[in-house]
Amino acid sequence: MSSSDRVRVRGLSIYRPIIYGNTAVALTQKERDALTSPDHTHRWTVAVRSAASPQNSDQVGGADDLSYFIKRVTFKLHDTYPSPTRNIDKPPFEVTETGWGEFEIIIRITFIQEAAEKTMTLLHHLKLHPWTVSGEPEIPPLEVALKAGPVHSWQYDEIVFNDPFQNFLNLLTAHPPTPLPKAKRKPIPFHLANPGSFEESKGGTPEFHASMISEEAERLDDARKKIIAETERLRNELIQKEAELEKYKKQLADGA
Amino acid sequence: MAASASDIRSALSLPDPSSVAGPSQPKKPAPTTRKPEGISRELYSLIGPSQPSVAAQVAKPRLKQKPRFATGISSATKWELKSFQNSTRKDGLQLKHWVKASDSADAEYPFAKYNIQNPVYTYSQDEYTRFLDTSNRSATPKDGKGEFEKPWTKEWTDYLFKLYHEYDGRWHVIWDRAEFPPEAGFDLEDLKHRYYSVCRKLIRNRPWPGDEASRNALINSLQFDIEREQMRKRYLVSLESRTADQLAEEEALYLEVRRLEQTERRFKREREDLLRTLAGMDSGLPYLVEDNGVPLGIFSEPRNLNKKRKTTVGQELDSPLTPSGAGSSVSAIKRPQNTKSAAYDAQHCIIRTELPSSTSATKAAHQPAYIRSSKIPYLKNNSMQSKVLQSFAEMGLSPSRLVMPTKENVAQLEGLLEAVTAMLETKKLLDKADHDIQVAKKQLAMRNGQLEDGEGDGEPGVKTEEAMDVDQAQDETDGNEGRGHSVVSVRSVRSRKKVRYLSLPDLVTL
Repeated sequence: MSSSDRVRVRGLSIYRPIIYGNTAVALTQKERDALTSPDHTHRWTVAVRSAASPQNSDQVGGADDLSYFIKRVTFKLHDTYPSPTRNIDKPPFEVTETGWGEFEIIIRITFIQEAAEKTMTLLHHLKLHPWTVSGEPEIPPLEVALKAGPVHSWQYDEIVFNDPFQNFLNLLTAHPPTPLPKAKRKPIPFHLANPGSFEESKGGTPEFHASMISEEAERLDDARKKIIAETERLRNELIQKEAELEKYKKQLADGA
Repeated sequence: MAASASDIRSALSLPDPSSVAGPSQPKKPAPTTRKPEGISRELYSLIGPSQPSVAAQVAKPRLKQKPRFATGISSATKWELKSFQNSTRKDGLQLKHWVKASDSADAEYPFAKYNIQNPVYTYSQDEYTRFLDTSNRSATPKDGKGEFEKPWTKEWTDYLFKLYHEYDGRWHVIWDRAEFPPEAGFDLEDLKHRYYSVCRKLIRNRPWPGDEASRNALINSLQFDIEREQMRKRYLVSLESRTADQLAEEEALYLEVRRLEQTERRFKREREDLLRTLAGMDSGLPYLVEDNGVPLGIFSEPRNLNKKRKTTVGQELDSPLTPSGAGSSVSAIKRPQNTKSAAYDAQHCIIRTELPSSTSATKAAHQPAYIRSSKIPYLKNNSMQSKVLQSFAEMGLSPSRLVMPTKENVAQLEGLLEAVTAMLETKKLLDKADHDIQVAKKQLAMRNGQLEDGEGDGEPGVKTEEAMDVDQAQDETDGNEGRGHSVVSVRSVRSRKKVRYLSLPDLVTL
């Protein structure tokens, strides 16, 4: 059984939609005093989850258990944290900590043995303070932060496997991913690549939904059409100017 | 006098018929259908309820109507000679035509919509050197069509496009009026070939809004196969110049082919009958589809192939036809499977790609697993990078990050990046052209300024006299043309310049 299954299925690639990122809440003064290091201002959780959110839950993503193809996720935190390399060997693949500063977290995803793939590395900038319209960092005072509620920073992405082994493919097809909801039900997660979504990202726990994909495709397509129209205009102007230049050059040549 | 049944009965004192069950009893009167309209009852009972005849009768006789002349009560329709605007005319010519007064005034001129223009294709210098320059092409290109790639210079290409625009794409007029040098040896097909291949190249290489299908449709509309055209024209010529003998021969051959065809059909039918009687009804021969007059008797695919009913006798005869039959039935089965597997693929997030060749599969390197956003092309660190970033920021997008990086969105982003780079390059060329124009203007101004200075030292009196003489001569020749005087004054400016240039050597000789 195993020998025939260790054949790669050519011409086929299979992907899994995931999200990775963090949520963060500001701590009240009482909570801070209860900590070992009272200079920490926020509690945050960084995680790797499936893209669809579970029904009736306040969690962003994580409707599916990803351990059918992920063996281990390693989160490398800032060096000021004790044992900054946190290995998570079983779901949920997340780390919760307290802290005061934003930094880059290196996320390493190790796949199950059947996949025979190298570890995948992702980077995530830990976000503690609320998003601003301008995108410039702005640290609000404590009351404002508490009122604003949890801060979310998530990135949707897709892990693509090419020419998978047959047995790995069987494992994957045995766990089809929960599809994203078609329409918007909750606020959408804010993303710097779409600053227009700022207003829509307010008001509670966000959720990824499928029309975000088509909306982005439309945005890109509209932009492309606009650019091409502008290029046409510039090109026609260029042709006119070239004709004008020819005329002047001829005049110069005649004179000489 | 009509006697009814009841009268006779009472006369003969017969009992009431209802008490006796006679043969006439069950014969109920035929259900009285509705009285027919338009024709009398007797006529209807004669004709019966047959539709065509009833309809023909019922139709009112449509005699020629008495024409309604205008009397005092209903006035004649008033027509007026109204002037109208043709929205597609640029010179504002006002013509008049007769319009019914009752028609809405200033309605759109109905024939304006027929004034369609051919799309105009122009190209910049840069585009010419990049895609359209064929002067340095190798003598034997790989598709072996070397003899059709006659050398075209940029001037000739520009001239061709100018002609096309001027003569609205009418090739025979263009061909007649074109004045290409005789050594180029351009035929009508060569002109067309060059024009259409340039258009196709431009469309292919410029960024294209919209999908690939519409771009391909446009390119297909601009296809021109020069080889086929030349062959077609040769055929036409030979067709025209057939002698009487050849015509007679062709007729005879054609008749013979049709006769053979018919006998073949009969022959096949007889054969099938024979086989059926020999092998029994279930010989399982495929239905023979009658060919619809196609010469050489090519059969279309047998549609109703019944694979189950095959005997050995049937099989030998079927074999040449079954592969085609099997193919059609298998493909019919495959189609429902395709839609099912598409849904399956979508559910499991599977993407299938066509393999280029299966033989290299074993040696093919395995592409390792990756995260989709890593496939977004990163900006090369060159001078344009900041401008690209700026353009994206203006549109509210990011060139390096996507909210939802799916396969399609990543491809879209790539397309957008290409379009932005193309736009910035065009802008750069435009700025350069602007700059060159400024430089050229300055040079011209400087040159004119220099000559003025040069003249000031010499003998102004003689020069101006000479200038005026030549001016007058020029003016006379110009005046003969009868143009407006603005043109003459321009001419005289130029002639004044020319005079200056002429007087320099005079200075030298003096």
